[in-house]
Amino acid sequence: MKFNFASVLQFFLFVIAQVVVTSYVNFSPYIYICFYPLFILSMPTKTPHMILLSLSFSMGLLIDILTNGIWGMNAAAATFLAYIQPALLKVIFSKGELENQIRPGLADLGMIRYTIYIFSGLLIHLSIFSIIENFGTPFIFENLLRMVISIIINTLIILLIEFGVFYKNTR
Amino acid sequence: MTNRSPLVKSIAAFILFVILEAVALVLISNESIIQQIRIMGFYMNMQEKTIKTKTDIKYYFSLDEVNEQLMAENTRLLQELAKYKAAEEAVDSSYSDTTTVNLPQPDSNVVSKMNLAVKQLSVPYKAKFTYIPAKVVGSSSNRKHNYLIINKGKVDGLDKDMGVISPQGVVGVISAVSDNYAYVISYLNVNQSVSAKLSGSNAFGPMIWDGKRINYAVLTEIPQHIKFHYGDTVRTSGFSTLFPPDLPLGTVKKSKIIKGTHHEIQVKLFQDFKTLLYVRVVKNNDRQEIDQLSKGNEI
Repeated sequence: MKFNFASVLQFFLFVIAQVVVTSYVNFSPYIYICFYPLFILSMPTKTPHMILLSLSFSMGLLIDILTNGIWGMNAAAATFLAYIQPALLKVIFSKGELENQIRPGLADLGMIRYTIYIFSGLLIHLSIFSIIENFGTPFIFENLLRMVISIIINTLIILLIEFGVFYKNTR
Repeated sequence: MTNRSPLVKSIAAFILFVILEAVALVLISNESIIQQIRIMGFYMNMQEKTIKTKTDIKYYFSLDEVNEQLMAENTRLLQELAKYKAAEEAVDSSYSDTTTVNLPQPDSNVVSKMNLAVKQLSVPYKAKFTYIPAKVVGSSSNRKHNYLIINKGKVDGLDKDMGVISPQGVVGVISAVSDNYAYVISYLNVNQSVSAKLSGSNAFGPMIWDGKRINYAVLTEIPQHIKFHYGDTVRTSGFSTLFPPDLPLGTVKKSKIIKGTHHEIQVKLFQDFKTLLYVRVVKNNDRQEIDQLSKGNEI
């Protein structure tokens, strides 16, 4: 992966967009919009794992700081997701496809596989987020409901972003 | 970085992951009181479990010492008991001998009998058996002629042809002694036998090991008219200088009649020779006397 200007810009744009959405858009307590996992999930294959982890951690921490949240919450969840990402890629891609460095996007995976990929990534991310938030099982019903709704909404949002922003560029 | 092996890379990634997560958790616990309480609770819980495990392990390793202490204690008690038994026997025989003594209550308890014996007859009694505790340091149990090695020898007063017992039954007979160790021919030896009796009827016969299974032995020469039940206890008869009487050996498992004359009883032994660790050597204080007597009168 080359660290060109575009990817650095992407990093900061994701942070800013996430901060703006979290700060100014509030639908309901049951909906927690977070689409920055898209950045982690669409890091190209064969990215050095250490770089992936560091980037995710700093992104999560930046978002935490800028949204006045609890410092470390998003960082912990994002780091975990980054740690899992290569394994997830191995599951989603078939063996030959992983030889080259590719961006795991809608263009390469196709609709169904991409949806599954995003869905499972978000499931991991939000589960970890929820676990860290509660450290136990108080309000388990509310939390599960929030998680399910958030996963569905966020999957849709991420699919839209992917389709609108990145899909065209690769064609 | 690119030239390193994938294993090193993955380990480095894992370490970085753990560090980052730890940093995140520390940040969280500094920021939010709820998470702090939860994390501290988890930490305390872990600590408590660790301490408990540590204590358990310590306790387990001290068991050895405790066992030895208990063993010494038990031996001391047995010796005391042997003394009292000897006294009781002395009193019992004195009843039949001295009819002139007016005994207040023949059925009174043992203590008063002994007091009486001490007071009136002043019998100089001493224990018939002395017990020496020992630990098994080597053994076999999967041959036809098995052996044990115990950590007491000539120095501790052991000698050839002494019986070895454990609370669960007979263990064997000493066949050779060195200064600090003794070689015991295990009861699990096809040449070994012990005089045993059925606890109900007191019928006795030699109990031998048939060499088939390590927890079964065969009690033979029990006359056909003797009645017993399955599950009856088999004990040592005491008709030898080796073992004290009434030591429990096992229970009756099944029996068959041989040649229409006597029972052959299969006995399930209490003793587990596979896990045997602490034993006692039986020292018969009257052995020399008995041996001389029988030697002089042999035909």
